Amino acid sequence: MFRPFDWQDLIPLAQGAWLTIQLCTVSGILGVIFGLILGIARTSPSRIARWISTIYISCVRGIPVLVIIFFVFFGIPLLFPGLEPDKFSSAVIALTCFAAAYVAEIVRGSIEAVAKGQSEAADALGLNYWRKLRYVILPQAVKIMVPPGIGFLIGLVKDSSLVTVTGLLELTHAGNIVTNLTGDPIKTFLVVAAMYFVICYGISLLGRLYEKRTGVHVAPLKLPEPAAI
Amino acid sequence: MALYFGDLLPFSSLLLEGLWTALYITLVAMLAGSALGVLVYLGKVGPGKPLSVLCTCYIEAIRNTPLLVQLYLIYFALPALGINLEPVWAALIGLTLNNAAYTAEIYRAGFESVPRGLREAGKALGMKPAQIVRYIVLLPATRNVFPALTNQLILLFLASSIGSIISLPELTNAIMSVSNTTYRTIEALAVGGLLYLGVSALMSLASKRAETTLFRWAVGTHV
Amino acid sequence: MIFVESLNKKFGPNHVLKGIDCHIREREVVCVIGPSGSGKSTFLRCMNGLETISSGSIVINKHRLDDSKTNINLVRQEAGMVFQHFNLFPHLKVIDNVMLAPLKVAKTSKEEARAKAEMLLTKVGLAEKMDTFPGNLSGGQMQRVAIARALAMDPKIMLFDEPTSALDPEIVGEVLAVMKDLANEGMTMVVVTHEMGFAREVADRVIFMDQGRIVEEGTPEEIFSSPQHARTQGDVSKVL
Repeated sequence: MFRPFDWQDLIPLAQGAWLTIQLCTVSGILGVIFGLILGIARTSPSRIARWISTIYISCVRGIPVLVIIFFVFFGIPLLFPGLEPDKFSSAVIALTCFAAAYVAEIVRGSIEAVAKGQSEAADALGLNYWRKLRYVILPQAVKIMVPPGIGFLIGLVKDSSLVTVTGLLELTHAGNIVTNLTGDPIKTFLVVAAMYFVICYGISLLGRLYEKRTGVHVAPLKLPEPAAI
Repeated sequence: MALYFGDLLPFSSLLLEGLWTALYITLVAMLAGSALGVLVYLGKVGPGKPLSVLCTCYIEAIRNTPLLVQLYLIYFALPALGINLEPVWAALIGLTLNNAAYTAEIYRAGFESVPRGLREAGKALGMKPAQIVRYIVLLPATRNVFPALTNQLILLFLASSIGSIISLPELTNAIMSVSNTTYRTIEALAVGGLLYLGVSALMSLASKRAETTLFRWAVGTHV
Repeated sequence: MIFVESLNKKFGPNHVLKGIDCHIREREVVCVIGPSGSGKSTFLRCMNGLETISSGSIVINKHRLDDSKTNINLVRQEAGMVFQHFNLFPHLKVIDNVMLAPLKVAKTSKEEARAKAEMLLTKVGLAEKMDTFPGNLSGGQMQRVAIARALAMDPKIMLFDEPTSALDPEIVGEVLAVMKDLANEGMTMVVVTHEMGFAREVADRVIFMDQGRIVEEGTPEEIFSSPQHARTQGDVSKVL
């Protein structure tokens, strides 16, 4: 009934890992795009833009990713009868919705971190909001966004494991299937964990490379500026 | 399609019980995990080299693997070793161990943010390293990272939902079982989502309040 | 009381103290002056083990600091230190700041520690601030609490590391007054300072350091009125 864990079991796991990478790449890119838009809306002078983006961000960040995944996977066919996205697309939609809110906060923090003086200097030069944003604030903010962005990517990879509930054959689900074939959850999930580790640690190494090349420091936390002693 | 929330009413107690389970698991994991996390951090920066390496590996392993996989390993793998765990215990252990790793990193930033001079003053008074940590550095460090710690609490609460995958009877589990029974999936998810949202918002407010009350001595300055 | 012989201190390739010889007697008040980077603070911090010695020896109150068997915490109990940036414990009230070391290190009883703390705070003129937190004090007040805190351990020697450098000029006086009283009571003091007026008035001996060496040593009159070395002359006149 069960056969022992074997080298051949690495293949479906590797395929699952590949699917995870694809899933996270697509969701990551879409999440960054929408997150950027949301983050800019969140800090824009337009009250409506701020309200809508704040409500969206607060709601998404106050709900577990798993609930969002369920909502998208079960909800879309129910809310829009006839629309039945495949598992991959549904996972992408769910992860993107979540990622966008996460990225939006990073964007907001970075925009606000770019010294207020920069904003005032740009105003004094007569730049309107969009030009100021495009030529003064964003170029500087983007540099600050990368370190927390690395953290976001790693989090995305880990959250993608929850997509297993939809049956998509990403790494964790592949692990479930292999466990059912071999009856050896320990070995299987240790390998699964190792694969996730390689992906996540790899991303953080890339982050450290970026840090070395551009000198932007990866700050683990944002702490308030120290007061004078 | 028409949404009808009425069908959910008979199941409101199920949902609330699920919420309650999620809450107390969160609390236990937070307290136990934070305490463990401080110890892990101290082990990492302490003098013992093997302990330091062990703690570093532990932290990196937890932070670079999904919580779900960690829970699977604890829940499914341990019975294979002969230890039979109920979902509750697996979830508690998993969340505690997970939280500890993140707390250790939070405390690293906290301890490093305390000015060196405070430690030196303690040394100059003849205090031993353990005393310096306990009486001089711990409170200011905690105050500095309090926002990060309370954020961790909220994240932990939301992460408790992952327990549903290993059959823990918490809120998300309740949502899905209600949805299976009533076929009112959207409504169930909406109500459950609102419950999560409400509680996490309350936690956020409460932590801001707690910060001003607990750290009256801080008077707005960073230590 | 303090014997320093051929003290050398290196921070990596940086040779900060180059062969310091010094003898400080009991009840002596010694002021160490000199330009920034001369190693004065490092010299002071070697005396209570906050900096380790690279070579040479320090014997402080019969404890050999370069001996690994010496219990450095015992040395630190006998030598109190006051820092440039006060380093008060922000999460403890003033009285608790002063009581902490006696309670946890000397293991005195709570009543004894409290009585002594109140006495010391009265001595430095801050009895009414006992129950305030350091965040609510001015710089001068904080430094006076720091002095009380150091005195709570009944040290035989008091080390001051630029105690007034971080203070506004108007409140320097209140701290110097406390230090002067301490000197008059016979405390052995080593003070790294830029306050030449204080050195002139209170010091028994002034040591002038430059680039890691003691360049000149003598009574305040000798150093300030007729310095031998050109550099001492230059620096002293610059500061006065």
